[in-house]
Amino acid sequence: MIATIGIDVGGTFTDIFVSVSDGRSIIAKAATTPDDQSNGVLYGITQAARRLGLTTAALLGATSRIVHGTTVATNALLEGKTARVGMLTTEGHRDVIEMREGLKPDRYNLRMAPPAPLVPRHLRLPVRERMRPDGSVEIALDEASLLSAIDRLRAADVQSVAICFLHAWRNPAHEQHAAAAVERHLPGAYATTSSDVLPQIKEFERFSTTVANAAVGPVIQNYLGRLQTRLRESGYAGELLVILSHGGVASVAEATRLAAGTALSGPAGGVAAAVALSRAGLSSDLIGFDMGGTSTDIAVVRDGQPGLSGDKSVANARIALPSLDIVTLGAGGGSIGHLDRSGLLAVGPQSAGAVPGPAAYGQGGTAATVTDANLVLGYLDPANFLGGQRRLDLDAATGVVAALAGALGVETMLAAAGIHRLVNSRMADGVRVATVRRGVDPRGFTLLAFGGAAGLHVTAVAAELGISRVAVPVAASVLSAWGMLNTDLRVELSRSQGQTGRLDTDALLAAFAAMESEGRARLAWFDGAVTLHRFADMRYGEQVFEIPVALDDIDWRAPDLATILADRFHAAHERLYTYALRDQEVVLVNARLSVIGRLPPTETPAVAARADTAPKARRSIHLGEWIEVPVFDFQLLAANQTVCGPAIIESDTTTVLLRGNDRARFDRRGWLDIAVAAR
Amino acid sequence: MASPPVLDCSEAGPSCAYSDRLTNVPALASGHHEPAARYFVIHVSATGRLPVCHAMRQHADMTDPITIAVLQNRLNAIAEEMGEAMLRTAYSQILNSSRDFSIALIDARCRLVAQADHIPVHVGAMPWAAKALAERFPIPSPNDVYVLNDPYRGGSHLPDLTVFVPVFAGERLMFWSVVRAHHSDIGGATHGAYNPAATEIWHEGLRLPPMRLTENGVLREDLLDMLALNVRHPRDFRGDLAAQIGSARLGEQRLNAVIAAFGTETLAASIEAMLDAAERHARQIVSGWQDGEYTGEAVLDDDGFGKTDIVIRARVTKQGSNVMVDLTDSDPQVTGFINSSHANTQSAVAMAFAFLLDPDIAKNDGAFRPLTVRLKEGTIVWAHEGAPVTMCTSHCSNEIIEAIIVALGQACPDRAMGGWGRRLRIALTGTDPRTRRRFIWHMFQARPGGGGSAAGDGYSTIGEWHSAGGIKFGSIEVAETRFPLVFETHEYRPGSAGEGKYRGGTGADMRLRVEAAGTTYANTAGEGVVHGARGINGGQDGAPHDYTLLPPNAPPRKLKSKEVNVPVPPGSVIHVLSGGGGGWGDPAQREPAARAADSQEGLI
Repeated sequence: MIATIGIDVGGTFTDIFVSVSDGRSIIAKAATTPDDQSNGVLYGITQAARRLGLTTAALLGATSRIVHGTTVATNALLEGKTARVGMLTTEGHRDVIEMREGLKPDRYNLRMAPPAPLVPRHLRLPVRERMRPDGSVEIALDEASLLSAIDRLRAADVQSVAICFLHAWRNPAHEQHAAAAVERHLPGAYATTSSDVLPQIKEFERFSTTVANAAVGPVIQNYLGRLQTRLRESGYAGELLVILSHGGVASVAEATRLAAGTALSGPAGGVAAAVALSRAGLSSDLIGFDMGGTSTDIAVVRDGQPGLSGDKSVANARIALPSLDIVTLGAGGGSIGHLDRSGLLAVGPQSAGAVPGPAAYGQGGTAATVTDANLVLGYLDPANFLGGQRRLDLDAATGVVAALAGALGVETMLAAAGIHRLVNSRMADGVRVATVRRGVDPRGFTLLAFGGAAGLHVTAVAAELGISRVAVPVAASVLSAWGMLNTDLRVELSRSQGQTGRLDTDALLAAFAAMESEGRARLAWFDGAVTLHRFADMRYGEQVFEIPVALDDIDWRAPDLATILADRFHAAHERLYTYALRDQEVVLVNARLSVIGRLPPTETPAVAARADTAPKARRSIHLGEWIEVPVFDFQLLAANQTVCGPAIIESDTTTVLLRGNDRARFDRRGWLDIAVAAR
Repeated sequence: MASPPVLDCSEAGPSCAYSDRLTNVPALASGHHEPAARYFVIHVSATGRLPVCHAMRQHADMTDPITIAVLQNRLNAIAEEMGEAMLRTAYSQILNSSRDFSIALIDARCRLVAQADHIPVHVGAMPWAAKALAERFPIPSPNDVYVLNDPYRGGSHLPDLTVFVPVFAGERLMFWSVVRAHHSDIGGATHGAYNPAATEIWHEGLRLPPMRLTENGVLREDLLDMLALNVRHPRDFRGDLAAQIGSARLGEQRLNAVIAAFGTETLAASIEAMLDAAERHARQIVSGWQDGEYTGEAVLDDDGFGKTDIVIRARVTKQGSNVMVDLTDSDPQVTGFINSSHANTQSAVAMAFAFLLDPDIAKNDGAFRPLTVRLKEGTIVWAHEGAPVTMCTSHCSNEIIEAIIVALGQACPDRAMGGWGRRLRIALTGTDPRTRRRFIWHMFQARPGGGGSAAGDGYSTIGEWHSAGGIKFGSIEVAETRFPLVFETHEYRPGSAGEGKYRGGTGADMRLRVEAAGTTYANTAGEGVVHGARGINGGQDGAPHDYTLLPPNAPPRKLKSKEVNVPVPPGSVIHVLSGGGGGWGDPAQREPAARAADSQEGLI
């Protein structure tokens, strides 16, 4: 027996998905332990082992791979519990990370204090040195200023050091020299250089990312080190893999080196699941719609590939590493419906969270949340929430929704329907942000719903967007943990190119060669096949935004390589923006290489063949008026069974609402395939 | 279905009718609900003006607070999407990097119904542009695209081209989808439109009255050729204009979907209710401020032609939920380009008012209904036709805003903020020795500080009142790569912030070495060398700007705020010390810990 284990640590629950070579798969849920997430992880693995009739040591001894999604870095940034960081930077430029290029959020808010930078100014220390944009030395590194800065950082007792010099993307010599000095004089400190983290032009992005890396580096190092040790002690001999913000996985050593690259590790599992379902035959074009208690993550998978972006921020920390292009909305099941100051209904961004939670939880919640509205509308079963583990209090929910209705001057049911409708509308706008604003027409896509709250909203969201197909996997609530087992090892590398004059193809080829040898070295421990994908970020001379251009299947020895590359860009620009300017100068800003080590996929457990199941009950729900609809047990549906709306399909953790004329078919590969009626 | 009775009570009366959907009856009125009649009866005291009554023509059978909220979200999302399209497709750096453009959705009655937060000083001006357009083209045609820029016909200043696409429901005009963008050149006597030497608008560039860019829905290429021929960067001009038209057309498509989804009548009624809701919100805030008459002043350095210390005088009367801003006592118009156009001044006043409201208030026509503005033609805030005005979106906008905040801030001191810094731009033109090509560089770095407020210290190096942190200065590495410039230093300027309980943000200290071949020429345009950003509520003023040219073999030379063709020998350093933001509150009340932190951080 060989097992693989996916571990997704969320805000409330730690989900464990175990896939065994004999075809079994086991799900375990443990409470997340925020002080040390490894406790919840180990507890969850123990539970999973018990369900398989094994000891923890026996399960881990037979486990070939563990893939882990962690929110440790994200939480450290959100809660300000980052390491004490010192910064060494080019003399005369110590305020780059705090100036933020002169931009401030919330344009009309002139009464807000600026956010505190991750490194205070007195720990951003100047080093006398300067490179020119062509990589030549303008001012040689002054050893005395370097050593005196390091002395001050030692006196300040920093745990980590970010080394950020201007133009280091072009010539990293000064940064590397400084890093060696830090290693020598501050042994034990976590040291990181901007030329290693993100060797790209544009100092704000590069410095900010490097500083974020230094801020979470020691935190990630401690956590992953501890988890790895505990897993070893419990019998696991394999490599612990961590899913990174770009959706690929990496070893603990690599995840520690690029700790800022774990900032989106949590939601990355959901996107990995969408990619895996896409590969399993669901659809090549998917929109992942992961609706949780306080927020909703939306991500696009196109031609089986998730989109990457370099402009993500977490808690004001700009992290420009390639990351899955996930749009996060501050709206979920716990979002609170309220009157804004103009007397209009608003939903969120405040959330009732897990405690006190919606009024329906009976834990003292007094605000009308989306979950309360869904209960009042009859969409949720008070007796069957979380598989009956929690009873929902309909009276409490009705009370808070009625109070809001009174303030709005409308009937209770209209207020409940209003909350439901408004949150659907905001979700649809979120999907528009993730699609139409990026030049993607969502109408040909399949909307993939997962997370506990998504099934009640997804068909309405689809209808508003003109999307005709929705899928809800039966394992919706642990999909992320499963998805992690279907990822590949991945190293994302980039190098900026010269910015003036004609494209220097020799330099480009040299950059790709250097990146390839670096990428292969980083995967040297891996004994499987390694594949490469080449890209370039390109733009027209006067533009500022680059677009990514895929450069696979190019003849790199062609004499007219520069022309071939430019043609690729013109074609990509035309696809995105409907026009190309073939007489204009084309600039290649960054060369990018994805180095991928293929891991064997985990099978999707097939649905057992059985006769169609009858509804387990009938229930009154409010769809404009009260109507009685059949209720089906999601877990007992037969392969290819068809359910026509209006109907409810519910499992322990997921409830799906079919409206009139929606039509669902249960695919044997484990998802509900819904044809959404136009409305 | 019967509509509820509606009484027009734009004048204060003893009582009036409300729709039953109205909530949050203002505190100064008491009321009771008449369920059978589906309206509220509001009793108003003998002296109290009824704040919102006249706007309450609610069509109760067609709207509800949920539909209105959905519509408001939808319209805001459309404006955001239009902005994103503009940002991604614009050609010139001033648009795609520095984001100097704005989006507005305006209804058939020329009222702002939604906007995206781009450049605040554009937004309040757009309804005036729509009015000028509607006056010229009372019956717009579907499929046509319109444009204007003339400051004496609805525009703010010449480089801002405003593009309009009308949106119809059948025959009925419902919206204008509007995109305003600052073009990098608009002809005239100097490159880049900012001409400190201009003494009349014809020196500043090409004037476009409200006009059609299309004929029967097809772009008039002959007209575009003519426009492109009269600007210095025809390629950028065409690319940016195409991006504007594309963005406005995108808005049209999205609004068509909204019209189809809501239906014309429900949509029209919901828009009324949406504007009313914003008005209610605004009046609720204003009602909480201290009634009275307040005055405030802000002073401009000079007009570039010898006239110095030019004063904007604001007299603000706050009564109940109404605010009247009177700028008629401001100084007469001047020779140079710091005069303001009418639309620009209206926008600056609206912006000052919006800054004192809640940041999350819906920025639409309703929110500005409590505000009335009094201006006199011939003053610096409303110049007679023909005067140069190009600087006005920065100056005197900044001073108009500051004078109003100084005045009205006395009614709501916790909402007022210290002054934000002034704009003083430098443009360099010369030859890049690496490519032997001519270059033109506009300075967006070294921005001044923002003001302190009750929320805390001000943002440093964030920009001015009129852009409020909306303009990105971009990467120094990229600038050094593309221009023969070395940024020796670009850091905070210690000691520049205005002191206060909450201090202003600091300005910048920038040393810029020019490594061009031969002589480079510098133009300056702006304000704030003499007068710094104002402190408020006892806070102190921020330090003014101090720009110096340091040629390699000649004595230092101070740069004035309005100079043309200053020779900059190769190897010169331009030393820019930009102004700090104004402080808020008495400096004696500043927490000792905050002072200690400033000292540790090297900011004082």
